[in-house]
Amino acid sequence: MDGYKVDPIAKNENKQDETKRKTVLVVDDEPDIRESVKMILEINGLNVITAVDGDDCLNKANEYKPDLILLDIMMPGLPVTEVVKKISNIKIAFMSVVRISDARKRGLCTQGNIVDFFQKPFNVTDLIERVELILNE
Amino acid sequence: MEGIKGLEKKKINIKNILFSKINRKLTLLFIIVGLIAPSLSIFYFYNVAVSSIPETISVEQSVLLRTVALMIIILIAINTGVIGFFVSKSISKPIKELYSATRQVEKGNYDIELKIKSNDEISELRNAFNRTTTTLGKLEMERKEIDTAKSEFLSITSHELRSPMTPLKAQLQMLGEGYFGKLSKKQKESLGIVVRNADRLDNIIVDFLEISRIEAARLKFNFRETNIVETIKETTRFMEGFAKEKNIELVVDISELPIIEVDPDRVTQVLRNLINNAIKFSNENSKIEINAYTKDQYIWFSVRDYGVGLTYENQLRIFEPFYQVECASRRRHGGTGLGLAICRGIVESQKGKIWVESKYGAGSKFCFTVPLSPVRKIEPIKVLFSKKGTIERKIRDEFKTILGPLGIGEFDELRNKNALGKDDLFEYINSLANLHILTDNLGNEFKNKINKIFGDEKEEFKGDKDMSELNFKDEVVKRN
Repeated sequence: MDGYKVDPIAKNENKQDETKRKTVLVVDDEPDIRESVKMILEINGLNVITAVDGDDCLNKANEYKPDLILLDIMMPGLPVTEVVKKISNIKIAFMSVVRISDARKRGLCTQGNIVDFFQKPFNVTDLIERVELILNE
Repeated sequence: MEGIKGLEKKKINIKNILFSKINRKLTLLFIIVGLIAPSLSIFYFYNVAVSSIPETISVEQSVLLRTVALMIIILIAINTGVIGFFVSKSISKPIKELYSATRQVEKGNYDIELKIKSNDEISELRNAFNRTTTTLGKLEMERKEIDTAKSEFLSITSHELRSPMTPLKAQLQMLGEGYFGKLSKKQKESLGIVVRNADRLDNIIVDFLEISRIEAARLKFNFRETNIVETIKETTRFMEGFAKEKNIELVVDISELPIIEVDPDRVTQVLRNLINNAIKFSNENSKIEINAYTKDQYIWFSVRDYGVGLTYENQLRIFEPFYQVECASRRRHGGTGLGLAICRGIVESQKGKIWVESKYGAGSKFCFTVPLSPVRKIEPIKVLFSKKGTIERKIRDEFKTILGPLGIGEFDELRNKNALGKDDLFEYINSLANLHILTDNLGNEFKNKINKIFGDEKEEFKGDKDMSELNFKDEVVKRN
């Protein structure tokens, strides 16, 4: 075992240039999930910032202008419907235990910038592939 | 007021109001008793008077005497009749009110309160009744509260249990895919075991969440217009992959099925579960038959396998949560043991029925019904208890009712021989009929009651037509 230093396996490093690195904003109230998703995305050559709830998400989105927001649905504080209303120019993909049919029922998937839905617990490879697909569109 | 309001609004029948059975009896009694003394004395007086009066009494006078005597008797009769009526009414009215109120309690309405205004034993009875219903009402409320609390707790806990799964599985996957460096062979093996069990745990939690939703009536359905034939075909195609592993043929035989409003994902869920079980318990190179037809406002599905079948004990308990039939292949296939309990919850939430017909050694047929129109008001379904005890108790009661006190001894004997399955019971009843211990009518009634206990009211017994033949012996299994 090579120890715990994050040794980036050259998955997609050759595709990313420092200047062209895309940024993903990961929003989840659970620290372990933020950390895990951050690990996965960074190892695959993406720039990651995190937010802990709806308000934090809006602030960070304004500040960093990410290319994609991975947004949890069940979070304390500002309801996710409000968050989505205030962000219309950045791609958003939901990441939640809530099922997509229920999310649709709650009217969460109508806005044009909602591009995908990841069901938790997600598959790591699946997440990466779909995120890259979204970012390269 | 409450008591009067609680009275059933029966058809206003003059006869009923005036002459209840008690009324009639007592009034008649009063009249008879009230008439005896005066009648005797008038009779005596009449005879004495007539005999002691000189012969010169005119016809008119004797007629007058007779008329007066008759009038007196009639008046006394009317008098005692009227008094008797009101007296007996003062007893029969409170009894009728008590009867009506008790019927309400029987139906589960514990808010009944009697307002009998007398100052005697009847009012004591009224007080005792009111106290009893108050207590019953309190107990019922407590029970409901506990039930709600239990369901809420179950669902909150399950949700909390689900959350850690995400980072857990993500990290394990990253480890396994070498995100943190190459793994040695032993590390890979160890990781494999951890991942497998994390998946198992996740499955149990997901199933558990379903069960808690079923119990709390929080099951979610997405009803939409569905071509059921397509749904069945899709499901079968999906399961064919697994069936091929044991070289099992999935045979679909469905007649014309209407397009109905239903949640196809749920139908698929139940079908997949049943087919999965059928595959698990079938031998290699056999077949599984999937049927569906419309009948009585429902679509009747069945999944028939030619595998090992189920013993009586298993048939009763198989829908219990975590109950799994003991067999060698179970270890290999795993499963949470919650599948059938969840199927039952889904089916019964839509007011359908799910059951199994089976003969040990010959295979099983799992059946369930889906209504043509969806049930939108979901009620809580109790899946977390065993029906075995209830069913045995009911069978025992039937034995006692039909065979008298000796029936209990017979029941115990059958239970010791583990012969309380439906087939065994029918055999037993038939033997009694053959020995002329039971008449044919009584025998059929017995069988109908047994059917009802096992949940098959649809099969009625009339005369010689015995429709419970499962025909398992006659099936010829096609082998490839």
